[in-house]
Amino acid sequence: MVETVKLTIDGHHITVPKGTLVIEAARQVGVMVPHFCYHPKLKPDANCRMCLVEIEKMPKLQTACSTPAAEGMVVRTATTVVNEAHKSVLEFILANHPLDCPVCDQGGRCDLQDFSHEYTPTTSRFIEVKRVFPKEYFSPLIETQMNRCVQCLRCVRYCDEVMDVKALAPSGRGTMTEIKHFTHHELDCEFCGGCVQICPVGAITSRLSMYEFRPWMLKRADTVCTYCGDGCQITIQTKENQLIEVMSAQGAGRNNGDLCARGFFGYHVSTHPDRLQHPLIRRNGELVQATWEDALEWVAETAIRLKLAHGPNAFGGLIGARCTNEDLYLFQKFMRLVVGTNNIDSSARYGQINGVRALRRVQGTSRWTVTFDDIVSAEALLLVGTNVTETNPITGLKVKEAVKKRQATLLTIEALEPAVGTISNIANLAAHHFSVQPDGFKPAVLGLIKAVVEENLVSQPLAQKAPGYVQAVSEAVRRLSWQAIERATGSSSQSFIDATRSFTRTARAVILVGQGVLRAPDGSGLTATLLDLLLLTGHHGLPGCGVAPLAEENNDQGAVEMGAALEYLPGPSDANDQAARARLAQAWKEELPKGPGKSLMEMIEGARTGSLKAMFIVGENPAGSLPPSAGTMEALQSLDLLVCQELFLTETARLAHVVLPACSYAEKDGTFTNTEGHVQSVRHAIELIGESRPDWEILSALSVLMGYPLEYGDAKEIFKEIRSLIPGYGLLGPAPTPPRPDQAVVESYLKTGYSSGLAERYTLGERRAASGERKDFSLTLLVTQTLFHSGKFSTRAKGLLQVQAEGAFSLNPADGTRLGLAEGDRVRVSNDLGEMTTTVKLQDRVPVGLALFPEHFDQEARRLLRVSTDPATQVPYYKSASVKVEKAK
Amino acid sequence: MTMAKPKYELILLKNMLQPGYTGSLADYERAGGYQALRKILGKVAPAEVTAMVTKSGLRGRGGAGFPAGIKWGFLPKDYQGPKYLCCNADESEPGTFKDRQLMERDPHQVLEGIAIACYAIGAETAYIYIRGEFVLGAKILEKAIAEARAAGYLGKNVLGAGVTIDVWVHRGAGAYICGEETALLESLEGKRGLPRVKPPFPATAGLYGKPTVINNVETLANLPHIITRGPEWFASIGSPPKSTGMRIFCVSGHVKRPGNYEVPMGITCRDLIFEHAGGMRSDKPLKAIIPGGASASFFTPEHLDVKLDFESVAQAGSMLGSGGVTVMEEGTSMVWAALRLMEFFHHESCGKCSPCREGSSWLVQTLRRIVNKRGRMQDLETLTDLCQNIAGRTVCAFGDAEVAPILSTLKYWRHEYEELIRTAEANGSSELLMPAAARH
Ligand SMILES: Cc1cc2nc3c(=O)[nH]c(=O)nc-3n(C[C@H](O)[C@H](O)[C@H](O)COP(=O)(O)O)c2cc1C
Ligand code: SF4
Ligand code: SF4
Ligand code: SF4
Ligand code: FES
Repeated sequence: MVETVKLTIDGHHITVPKGTLVIEAARQVGVMVPHFCYHPKLKPDANCRMCLVEIEKMPKLQTACSTPAAEGMVVRTATTVVNEAHKSVLEFILANHPLDCPVCDQGGRCDLQDFSHEYTPTTSRFIEVKRVFPKEYFSPLIETQMNRCVQCLRCVRYCDEVMDVKALAPSGRGTMTEIKHFTHHELDCEFCGGCVQICPVGAITSRLSMYEFRPWMLKRADTVCTYCGDGCQITIQTKENQLIEVMSAQGAGRNNGDLCARGFFGYHVSTHPDRLQHPLIRRNGELVQATWEDALEWVAETAIRLKLAHGPNAFGGLIGARCTNEDLYLFQKFMRLVVGTNNIDSSARYGQINGVRALRRVQGTSRWTVTFDDIVSAEALLLVGTNVTETNPITGLKVKEAVKKRQATLLTIEALEPAVGTISNIANLAAHHFSVQPDGFKPAVLGLIKAVVEENLVSQPLAQKAPGYVQAVSEAVRRLSWQAIERATGSSSQSFIDATRSFTRTARAVILVGQGVLRAPDGSGLTATLLDLLLLTGHHGLPGCGVAPLAEENNDQGAVEMGAALEYLPGPSDANDQAARARLAQAWKEELPKGPGKSLMEMIEGARTGSLKAMFIVGENPAGSLPPSAGTMEALQSLDLLVCQELFLTETARLAHVVLPACSYAEKDGTFTNTEGHVQSVRHAIELIGESRPDWEILSALSVLMGYPLEYGDAKEIFKEIRSLIPGYGLLGPAPTPPRPDQAVVESYLKTGYSSGLAERYTLGERRAASGERKDFSLTLLVTQTLFHSGKFSTRAKGLLQVQAEGAFSLNPADGTRLGLAEGDRVRVSNDLGEMTTTVKLQDRVPVGLALFPEHFDQEARRLLRVSTDPATQVPYYKSASVKVEKAK
Repeated sequence: MTMAKPKYELILLKNMLQPGYTGSLADYERAGGYQALRKILGKVAPAEVTAMVTKSGLRGRGGAGFPAGIKWGFLPKDYQGPKYLCCNADESEPGTFKDRQLMERDPHQVLEGIAIACYAIGAETAYIYIRGEFVLGAKILEKAIAEARAAGYLGKNVLGAGVTIDVWVHRGAGAYICGEETALLESLEGKRGLPRVKPPFPATAGLYGKPTVINNVETLANLPHIITRGPEWFASIGSPPKSTGMRIFCVSGHVKRPGNYEVPMGITCRDLIFEHAGGMRSDKPLKAIIPGGASASFFTPEHLDVKLDFESVAQAGSMLGSGGVTVMEEGTSMVWAALRLMEFFHHESCGKCSPCREGSSWLVQTLRRIVNKRGRMQDLETLTDLCQNIAGRTVCAFGDAEVAPILSTLKYWRHEYEELIRTAEANGSSELLMPAAARH
């Protein structure tokens, strides 16, 4: 039970939980106490003194923003004394304020303007000289105008308390206090835009929309960001169909109003001038503009001809997991019914499939059993293979909140070093950090499990319930020597023991699994092993505990649940689950295609060998994503029919026979399912660009022409069908209700299920030489995510390009010394597959022996990568390679 | 420094006035130093030491005059984990210079006081937060700490009693506000020195969020004597029951012998200025007195017989504050004096609270205008209004302090303001509101 207190505010009686601030209690009875420095997300600082109220039995006026409600308190917010106080504080704040509203972007939604209208006379008694700061350049994306600053420090506190970036600070004293960034270079931060959003006045604004609007000219649409799996709720504001700005309201969505750089500044992709406006058909080797009728008819005719000649399994379909659930659902239905094949895959294949597969295997769920809220209230958090801030920034904020505000213990296993002065490096907050090479994740996890076993930390109930399982796992880890683990991870046995002890001690533990695991060999196996860890420590199945694989793409989770995969039907149900097939066949009134179906890599192989003749590719760019060594280009070129639905003329679209212009998320309606399994509505913010159309509409039109009409009036109608077939799409609430582990599946896993592949999962595997042992000029190249880009199109967002416009080859200064390389040097990086020339960046956070290159600028780097395909999950791996590095001539 | 011939038995300044006294450990020990620590360590329970201090009636000498023993008693009782003592040696209040002398001339007396307080509150670590400009004081303290450590009065296992008392000197960086106890804590933690919102009070969440006591140098220096000679003795000095003990008054301004005078609390202003400080420096009569540092309201000659103890001074509308007594003779422009003080406060306002930040700059500009004979009659109303709108509405007591000089000069010497303004009106310069540089 929450303890409550009763109080009276302006005559309203109200009961609130103990600890509620008076300002919040007042809000609940509809009384708005004017304020500047207060923000529900931040610790009270009570510096603006705007929120003064009268509280009975207290001699002085009190700040409502910092005074907790107490039993029997009598608060008055509108007495003469209080009104006078509000007036006077405003008079002070306005004294040095330039009142340049006509040229201020905040005008029209400015707290200072609003309160001034409410409380102050139109003339001021202030006749002295106003303080003026010289204008200073701040950053490419963020504009400051310090004369307008009311020194509420919300920006500074947000940057520290919420973001943990600490890029801003007040400098100077008294009226000369200015908000600045440290040091003399330009702002170096995560560019989350939080300071822009939280500034109550126009002192910090976005340069992307400078002088372009007044708030009342803007049209708003609440929708969901497409840059990552976190699924932030955003409000896109437009003026005459132009994207003006993105914001997110406090309390909105799973992100609670917080955003990252991509969400806040990366919105210009949809209106990029390169957007495809018309269908294109290849004529005489060239892609030329065509009408929708011509293009669609040509596709339908060709497809029918090829299907007659080669059968449905000569077709393959690939869809990007950035599409809506409605697109994804209709796509797989199109492939299964209109075309008649199981050759279906999506970009979830690049990693998400691994996570889902492990969850299904061990606990019978396809989703997380935890939510963001469980991350926040976790006592221990283990992050494996994820610098979470860079891939899933908002999940990262939840982790930061757990650690910073609630003292959770953070354990990280990552190919990064904690380093002072680096931002977005979650390892900096870790109590136990294991810095490993990309092939060291598994040895490190096994080290933890070995410590659990050898320190007798295995859950007693589990040992009794599943003695065989515990014994098998124990034996497996006992066989591994500490020396070998230490060699593979560079960490001591004691460090594993210490970390394990602090992990097992806690009641609520969550493990986050990132791309370092999911997009690397045997990602599914290692995820299962992490579930073993949770089982062994006894956390598995407890409230708030679970293993959570992080979705990289905004709708990775939806792609799997919609059945856009050869092995899954909508649900997801296993494609060979007879009951599920029967159910679906009944709903669709059609038999489902039989046979195994081809995965992405198998389709490419099929195209290369000629068994695949045609492909429908929707919003996906394998020719651009996979390294050249995969031979994707050549394979796709040999197809008789390649149809691409795309926003831009990508590497893949360039190879197509027909390119159909699809619209972006900003122009369509539908739903996305975020990494925690939360289904959210996508709403169009602008009209369709050119002749582009939503993907589902294009597929629907094609289905009609191909003689198997899948007709829907709008996205909602598709959603209705989804809802009738897939659990978890029923009611769209404000927060997800996560599934519980399926006990039957867990029991069968503990009985026998664990044993298949156990031996492989519990070996250390081969490992590359750590750099200490390296005498040559080699390094391990790892292609990674960065905070400022995500997905295929962020390099078309002008805002993000201003923060990061090119890739650099980052390595540890020690390796720099070893290789004779200095910051800014041009280097030639090569191996047997190819070479590239790039620029060196020395960074403490990169472990010795490793070199990082951002995947969004890796066209050249990809030449050095070799693809291997997971035999079990068909996931292609190509994120790292051994390379030779030398100074470019 | 000028020193009067003692008229009472001195306590705090006694040692340093002995001929040849260097403040070394040997000198201090010879004068009976560290006996108090010996007397209690391992022998008297900490709670009892606190009780003794409460009984002595010792009140804080840093400004607010809060009873020391009661403050210590606010620390959570059953708390395990670290607690801290901070010795406030930031002494930046204009007209106040007693802590400096205590630290420079008899550092061990301060250290023994710190050790006693640490023992009483169960703190193993004490920080002396010393004003940055006190370079000499910091050096002397460092040296004294080393001596005391070597002799076993500080460090691990003090005097074999199994108690740890580590003392560190931390130099400030030049902000007056860092003398405010919570700003001091922020600064010690390595942050920008801005006062914290209270509650929580330092006793529950102070340095690094741990229970902390902050005491002024002079407050702490009294402790060895209270222990050695007993609380009853201390409580009998001064004007009991509310203002016990001696007080070091820092007399400055237009007197013959400015300097530090240790006298029993409760002697009159007149006594202090004319008996001790030698009276006015010239034949001009006394015009104004600041009785307790720049933050205290002015007194007039009418107040010469006010007793210098906490209650009497407060009753007369000012405060005893830090003990800085500034005397001004006839002929001093009180508007100018108010401006001079306001310039200090404007310079030192940390800027956290809107009323103080903006108000101090507004007040100082208006005052400057009046002094420069460009004032208007309505400015006086604005000044009063602004002062009233700052006081009581800020995070820290600075807001109350900064308005005292203006409000009290307006109260007693309003005619001086009016004269300046009338001159301005007469030659038409009231209309030149903007300074020449800003007029276009
Ligand atoms: C603006 C401001 C400045 C202060 N400066 C000092 C100072 O320099 N030295 C000091 O001892 N106390 C100073 N104080 C008082 C302290 O906040 C605190 O009350 C005192 O150190 C407590 O010690 P005491 O109880 O022994 O007096 C200041 C208070 C304020 C509001
Ligand atoms: S810039 Fe804005 S948020 Fe930051 S202190 Fe100034 S007014 Fe507050
Ligand atoms: S990229 Fe991810 S974290 Fe950033 S705003 Fe979009 S959904 Fe949120
Ligand atoms: S009252 Fe003045 S000095 Fe004190 S916290 Fe507020 S702004 Fe700073
Ligand atoms: S909102 Fe309460 S002091 Fe600023």
